[in-house]
Parts: sequence; structure tokens; C-alpha cells
Amino acid sequence: MPDLIPVTVLTGYLGAGKTTLLNRILTEQHGKRYAVVINEFGELGVDNDLVVESDEEVFEMNNGCACCTVRGDLIRIITALLKRRGRFDGIIVETTGLANPAPVAQTFFIDENLRAKTRLDAIVTVVDALNLPRRLLDSPEAAAQIAFADVVVVNKTDLVSAEELAAVEAQVREINQIVTILRSERGDVPIDQILGRGAFDLDRVLEFAPDFLTDDSHLHNVDITSVSFSVKRPIDPARFTKWIGALFAERAIDMLRTKGILAYPGEDRRYAFQAVHEIADGAFIGPWKEGPRESKIVFIGRNLNRPQLRRGFEACQVDE
Amino acid sequence: MSQDLLAQRGVSHRLDAYVVGATFNRSGTRVGFGLCDGCVVIGSQSGEWPRFETHDGGLLAITPDLAEGFLSGGDDGALSRTGLDGTISRVAQFGSKWVEQVASYGDAAAGLIACSVGKNLILFDQGGQKLKELPHPSTVTGIAFDAKGKRIAASHYGGASLWYAMAKTDNPRKLEWKGSHTGVTIHPGGEAVVTSMQENALHGWRLTDGQHMRMSGYPAKTGSLSWSRHGKWLASSGADAIVLWPFTGGGPMGKPPLELAQIPDIVCTKVAFHPAHDIVAAGYADGTVAMADIGGERVLRVKAPGDGEVSALAWNPQGTLLAFGTEEGLAGIVDLTAR
Repeated sequence: MPDLIPVTVLTGYLGAGKTTLLNRILTEQHGKRYAVVINEFGELGVDNDLVVESDEEVFEMNNGCACCTVRGDLIRIITALLKRRGRFDGIIVETTGLANPAPVAQTFFIDENLRAKTRLDAIVTVVDALNLPRRLLDSPEAAAQIAFADVVVVNKTDLVSAEELAAVEAQVREINQIVTILRSERGDVPIDQILGRGAFDLDRVLEFAPDFLTDDSHLHNVDITSVSFSVKRPIDPARFTKWIGALFAERAIDMLRTKGILAYPGEDRRYAFQAVHEIADGAFIGPWKEGPRESKIVFIGRNLNRPQLRRGFEACQVDE
Repeated sequence: MSQDLLAQRGVSHRLDAYVVGATFNRSGTRVGFGLCDGCVVIGSQSGEWPRFETHDGGLLAITPDLAEGFLSGGDDGALSRTGLDGTISRVAQFGSKWVEQVASYGDAAAGLIACSVGKNLILFDQGGQKLKELPHPSTVTGIAFDAKGKRIAASHYGGASLWYAMAKTDNPRKLEWKGSHTGVTIHPGGEAVVTSMQENALHGWRLTDGQHMRMSGYPAKTGSLSWSRHGKWLASSGADAIVLWPFTGGGPMGKPPLELAQIPDIVCTKVAFHPAHDIVAAGYADGTVAMADIGGERVLRVKAPGDGEVSALAWNPQGTLLAFGTEEGLAGIVDLTAR
């Protein structure tokens, strides 16, 4: 089987520096060719026959799943591009500043053809250090774009003081405690830290997670936050499946992203899973290292009830 | 195993590019193979197969021209003609937009050409003069003329729109059904419009009373649809057999479909009904091409597995030649005349 084509989703509100970064990816000598789906040619100063302009067309799947929205335009365009797959090494999908990244991500899990031929590599969100605090207040999408991100590029760091930058990064971290944060002045981040991350690969789930915070910060100025838990006793697969299934069924719209690494009883391999809303994906990955096996889970979402989630996860453990 | 029909009475060439579509010209003597690299290869039963660089980019759709050549749309924004002698001309140019669908009806003396560009369906007369531009609520994913060339259907989100091509005022009949509709066809007798859908299903509307027809149960995406000559059967891809829905006696509602030429666990990707007889040809994901006879339920193998998924399949209007193309760029023509 040929390798799956990696897809990077590039989001960020207007003016954050998304186009600058995209121009760099397309012009820098890194030996790779990218097909790019963009919302409008606008300022993209690159003459590239693999740049496709697209109107974002989101539709709901008729499968009874409340948040199963996908981008039909991407299905059409990428299916056509894949017929010439020898011409490029990867695909970048740029979204508008007002876009919710979920339908883009879900498209690559739901459409069987794209699922068979591509893999979502990472969601990269560009924010600017100067304007992020204001955007978080006036645009609900700004927080959602950080919540769904695997990488946040904090751009225009030269326009703020060290204290302001630290505050911006704390805000990003409050929304998404497992995101990788990169700093840049004019989109000048190493390309290899953005492309080819494999952030949706199950065997890399939580690889970039910092030590789990025991005490979440309390900035309380955005409605999206992340909470994480770890437990020491093994997880009963049946209890976990039932609990997470019920949680997603009831709260799918609020649960934006979920990632976990679980220890099952009598199983030497780690069980990894990740989900975008209720579209989940899980598999056994490599063996546990020597030492205690802690199961970990991270939820990123709205109105997360921390004690309730903690009790729910703890109750998935096998009996003592 | 006995030799397949391609080895016995066919010709094939390696075109080294994904075959996006195959179609015979009006007289049924030549095949236009549209390739993903923008070329059109003109195939025949003997001699060289010339290759023409019709599009500067990818070719997205190909259909017979009103004269003896081919019409194609590309991601270079061009609706182009490729003559049998290799003369390439532009019917229209739409800038950086993709020309994703093309269709034609009639002949060089009186006919219509249609293409879709984004949300618009554009109609031209036989000379290539633009007649009208018909807007839709979202991107057009499929277009089809009816058997008389009077109406044209376009599929899009939320259903399909049915237009009278020559109407003085353009008000489409809106056929609504929630979801993403990915292709469309009109019953040869004008009785129904059927779309393929994102959700492994077909949806139909009976035109006399607007009755919905739901055709589901496919394990994979549908996409290729073909009617038997008088519309008694609708053949479809998307299962590990050819799925045929009966459109007689009140069907397809409440009637199970017929399944022919099953290859366990191998998805049928293309279907094409013989223009006259109750015989349907089918291509599969493993590269097999087969023909099935509805009455006798006999199956003949046209091409052995291999060479990639079958991505194009077409009969000539006489029903004597069958052409196919695959994702790995093998293209062939099989002679099915009685010997």
C-alpha cells in the first residue's frame, strides 16, 4: 500500500499571520511539495498550480450524530487531487479566520475515501501575541481554534513584552494544556515543527503533553478549558467504553477533543485513543515502560465539570 | 481459468496516468480516455492511440462532443474540445475555477453542452455560444440531461434541481432531501431523478408525485449509476456486486434489489448498462471487469484482476464495444460483436 498523504490544517483568525506562514511553507526550500486548499487567493503571493481555491461548504451527515459536520468541498477537491498523488508530498488546508476546525478534521475520519488515502497530521493554529486576548473575548472561534490545535504558533512576539507573552501563553495553555506552543515574530518557525508531526497518530497521543497539572489555572475568561486526570489502578475496558460512550452521546457538542492512554488489566501494551467531538479512534500501541502504569485522560471542551469527570474516570478502574 | 475477453478480442494500452473517465464519440468508433494529467488519449481498435495535452493541469470530466471528438473540463478552468485529429479548442474559460462536470446532448446540427463551475451550471448551444448560467445553493456535484435533452438535473447539498434547458424563465423544480448529494441521473422515460449520496445510499424522487425513494444498504460509497435502455433497471456501484433496483410496478420501494456478478469483499466501482440489451458491465476495485446478463444471470469475465481499481467504463452507442480504464493507467477496448 502506498503511504497515506499527510494533511495539515492551518487555522487562525484574520491578521494572525496565517498567510505569512503559508507563503513561507510554499517558498522555502525543504524538498517537499504541498498541495494547498485555501479559502481565497487574496494575498498569497505564490504562483503554484497546486493551490486550489475553495468555498467552505459544511454539511451535516445523516447519521444521527449531532456534531457530524464535514466539509463537502474538501471531499471533492482532495479526491480529485489524490488522482495525481505523485505530484505532491502533503496537503495543507487553510481555513478562514471564522472557521470552526472540527468539520475539517472530521472530514478526514468520516469520508471513507479520504480515510483510506490520507491521514490528518496536525491542526496548526496561528495566533498573534498582541491581539489574542481581545480575540478571545470577541470571537468564540478563536478559542475553538486553540482547543482543537495540536500546535499553536504564537506570532508577532516582538510586539509584546515578556510578561504579556507569558500571559498569552498561559491563556493558550488554559484552553488546551497539551498543545505544543511555538513562538515566532514573522511566521519564522522551523517548518519541520509544523509539518509531519503525526499528532493524530495513536502511538503519539499525549507524547507532547507536559506533566499533568494537578491544579488547573483559573483565568476564567474563556469558556473552553482542558482538564486532565490520571489514575493508578488499571482501567476496565467495558466500564470505560460505556462511560465515554455515554459522555459523548450526551455532551458531544461540548467535548471538543479528548486524548487518553489507558492501562488495561493483564495487557502489556498501552491503549491509546483520541477523539474529535464524538468521532473516536483507538488502538493498542507500544508496550508500557518498566514501572507503574498510570492511565491518563485529557478533555478539552466547554462547561467541563471537573469533579464529575474525575469521578467518572476513577470509576472506570478495576475494583480494588 | 478460461481466458478473459480482453485477451481474446480486445486491445489495451498503458497510459501511465489515472484514467478519470472514458467515453465513446457519437459514431461509436473512438474512445476518449481522459487522464488525471490533463491529457486526452484517443483509443481505437487498431493502430496508435494518440495523446493530446488538452488541459494545463488535471482533467476532471470527459463526455462526447456534439461533433466527432470529445469535450472535457479541467482544473485549469477550461471547457475544452479535443477533435479526433487532435485539434484542441476552448469552449469557455473560467479563470482559476474548476470545471468539474460536463455533459452534452444532440449533435453538431442541434445540441446542447453543459458544464458546472462551482455553484453554477452553464449551458451552451452547439456552436459553443453561452445560453444561460443557472445558480444553485451550493457546489454542483453532478449534472445530467434527460433522454430528450429538454431537462437537465444538477445535484448539490440538500437535493437536486431540475431545470428546463430552453425555458424563458429559469425556475428549477427543487427536489429536496437533507444531506450531500454527489451525483445525479434522470430516468430514460423521465419518471424519476436519482442521486448518489455521501452516506452510502441513493435517493430518488418520482417526478409524477414527488414521492421519495430511498435506496440504502450499500457497504461503500455509491457514485456510478446507469439505467437499462427503457429504465426498467437502475444499476449502481458501492457493493461487492452490481446492485440493480427495479423501476417497474411501483418499485423500487418495497422491492429488494437484484445483485449480480458478486466478487466477495471486492467493491464494484463502475457500472454501465448495455445501450440495448439487459446486460450490464461492471468494474471492480481489484481491476476486474465483468458483464452480467439479467435474465439468465450469467456472468462473463471481460478483464482479469490487476492494474488498479476500475475508474472508467463505457459502451459505444451500438453496444458493440466496451471501454475501460483503471487508476493505474491501463485502458482497453473489447470487441463484443458476434463472430
